[in-house]
Amino acid sequence: MDISLDSDQQMLHETAVTFAANVMTPARIRELEETDAGFDASVWKQIAEMGWAGALFPEQYGGSEASAVELALVVEALGQGAIPNPLFSTVIEAGLLLLDAGSPIQRETYLPRIASGDAILTTAILEASGGLRPQEIRTTITKAGNGFTINGTKLFVRDASTAEVIIVAGRTGDEAEDVTLLIVPQNAPGLTLRRMPASGGESLWQATFDNVMVDSDALVGDDGNAWAAIARLQLRGAAFKSAELVGIGQASLDLTVTYAKTREQFGGPIGRFQGVHHHCAEIYRDLQVSRLLVWQAAASLGEGLAGSREVSMAKAKCSDAMPAATRIAHQIHGAIAYYRDYPLELYYHRAIAAQAAYGDAGHHRRVLSELMRTDLDGFRGDNRHDLPVHYF
Amino acid sequence: MDFKLTAEEQAFRLEVQDFLRRELTPNIWLAHRDPTEQGMWTADFTKAFRRKLGAAGYIGMGWPKEYGGGGRNRIYQTILWDEMEYHRAPGIDRSVTYIPNAVIAFGSDAQKAEFLPKMVRGELSWFVGYSEPEAGSDLANLKTKAVEDGDYFVITGQKAFSSDAHMADYGWVATRTDATSTKHHGLTMFIVDMTLPGVTVSEYPTLAGWTHHAVHFDNVRVHKSMMVGARDQGWKVVMGAIDYERGALASAGLVNYQLDRLLAWCAQPREGAAPLLDDPVVRDELVRLAIEAETAKLASYWLASLSAKGLRPQHESSVALLVKRETSRKFDAAGLELLGQFAPLRAGSPAVALAGEVEVEYRDHLYFQFAAGGFDITRNVVATRGLGLPR
Repeated sequence: MDISLDSDQQMLHETAVTFAANVMTPARIRELEETDAGFDASVWKQIAEMGWAGALFPEQYGGSEASAVELALVVEALGQGAIPNPLFSTVIEAGLLLLDAGSPIQRETYLPRIASGDAILTTAILEASGGLRPQEIRTTITKAGNGFTINGTKLFVRDASTAEVIIVAGRTGDEAEDVTLLIVPQNAPGLTLRRMPASGGESLWQATFDNVMVDSDALVGDDGNAWAAIARLQLRGAAFKSAELVGIGQASLDLTVTYAKTREQFGGPIGRFQGVHHHCAEIYRDLQVSRLLVWQAAASLGEGLAGSREVSMAKAKCSDAMPAATRIAHQIHGAIAYYRDYPLELYYHRAIAAQAAYGDAGHHRRVLSELMRTDLDGFRGDNRHDLPVHYF
Repeated sequence: MDFKLTAEEQAFRLEVQDFLRRELTPNIWLAHRDPTEQGMWTADFTKAFRRKLGAAGYIGMGWPKEYGGGGRNRIYQTILWDEMEYHRAPGIDRSVTYIPNAVIAFGSDAQKAEFLPKMVRGELSWFVGYSEPEAGSDLANLKTKAVEDGDYFVITGQKAFSSDAHMADYGWVATRTDATSTKHHGLTMFIVDMTLPGVTVSEYPTLAGWTHHAVHFDNVRVHKSMMVGARDQGWKVVMGAIDYERGALASAGLVNYQLDRLLAWCAQPREGAAPLLDDPVVRDELVRLAIEAETAKLASYWLASLSAKGLRPQHESSVALLVKRETSRKFDAAGLELLGQFAPLRAGSPAVALAGEVEVEYRDHLYFQFAAGGFDITRNVVATRGLGLPR
């Protein structure tokens, strides 16, 4: 067992943190939040040139076959810098979905261009209920000639305005998991987009499909059998969003500690007061255990749904603890951070979005609760042997 | 990064589990459990068990080989502590964890030669003489004095909250050697033979049911060869030992046991009612606890991983201990709630739940909130040593 970063991972993390700290100013970040794209294409190109867009792809698709832990370190660093980027839509959702379930032609078409930063893709899964279960997909996909017709409304589609294609999930039968994935050009007739203004710097869209038609080669995986791939997508999303939440927590802690050391009241820095010590220690404690859960969740990816317990633990904890960290950070800052030109607001807003993405804390505790009902032993400690009989 | 035990580490875990199952059978449990002792086992059994740990090679696993140690890394020690805690076995305490490590780090060659071979065999019991009536969280305020007199130091004063002092062969005692100094300066550590004239031990019953002790030194003459480290430099010894102590206490075995026990309780069939586990509100509570238990486990092995790499965790030890103990207290509180009407019942009552253990621990574990640095003191340590905030 070794629960620590090796020297290469440490260097990668430091490189990514430094990159994120210097690539744009808070003013530029706020400016981007007002745009439809939501991110700076030239910065995304730089991120790709660092090798981070294709980090998890095989070499044949321009990737570097890094581990999920390494990508999580990059996601954490970009979260720490509050850098708007399409990593979730393009890589963690669409790219890894195509690597997972796409045909060789689909992979060849998109993955190298994702890795080089030249293609933006996204996925459209969620609908009116906002839930993550298969029965909540109500958009219909019907066979039509040599292809498919799509009807329905998708919500929370990341980066839809800049994406060249949207991979959409629709219903093909009455059973809950009768779900199909199709690649739809973003400019397809019948597809309309409407911005969903939201806290947190993401560019979210409503996508309405009104008799949108695609050919049969748009199919990702098997017709009517896509749910398992979607579940894995959500698992990856939750794991990496947890990493972003850790970055949000780290930035909040760093700002707070710096402020507490330099802000003077009552004749000295406020960081000398025990009330401030305890708040900062609480953030640090929760941040550190959240980070450990994220490493474990990332390490568990790649083992199919076997990582569900680890990922849900990470997302449940991070979704509770990191927004709480931003609230404590504001408590220590007082009024100064209430103003928009103080950078803490970026993290306060990002925490709102990140705790909700790919399942909030309640969702993941419900997942764990169901796992507990069906597999109690999976929750027992590593000791995993019989309790001493004399206790019963 | 690897979250699984290696084959060798896993084999060691199984070996320790076998050892503990063999040595802590139900009959042994019934014969030697003692609620008047802090460790919940009789003093005789605790000492005998410690010798068995020594014979099995479990003491000193992480010491350097030249001191009779096993040279194994901290992952193995954490596995051992983890299993010992899970089984609530006696014997893994200051006598085999941080005192020998402090002797290795700060002791003289003669002290190492005299004490380490006995300690690695589990033959010595120790008490730690840090706290005093006027020196608790503010340890540097200690007043017990040691006055040089020829080849001896004469120690006078009182130590308080002295766990297991009644069964100790030696004391690990912090004194003030420079009467003109205050706080961290002018302290000196001594090893004190508890059979020396002038050493007396008194008793204080605790609300948890066991008896705690205090130690009085009345002109106790300790040979200067029993001084640890340099004169007036005792604070360094204390601090060096404390990081190791916090790390050793941060093992998650207890928390894993609390989790397993509560899961088993909630899964039990009940007469006239469905198992508690069928209740989604109960399961949500258990899920929250399971996540916290996971963080305690990860934190302890994170700490072990840093040590195994040759790093010297400091505030990280404090964080890991805080996570473990706060989590344990959450289990204590949740245990009361999930036991419902049965929560207050003590061993011997008809229909007692889980042998009354949850109620005992609810009282016993109160000491987590103040011993070895209480929760708030630990947060101060994290804030100052870890985050660099001013004092």
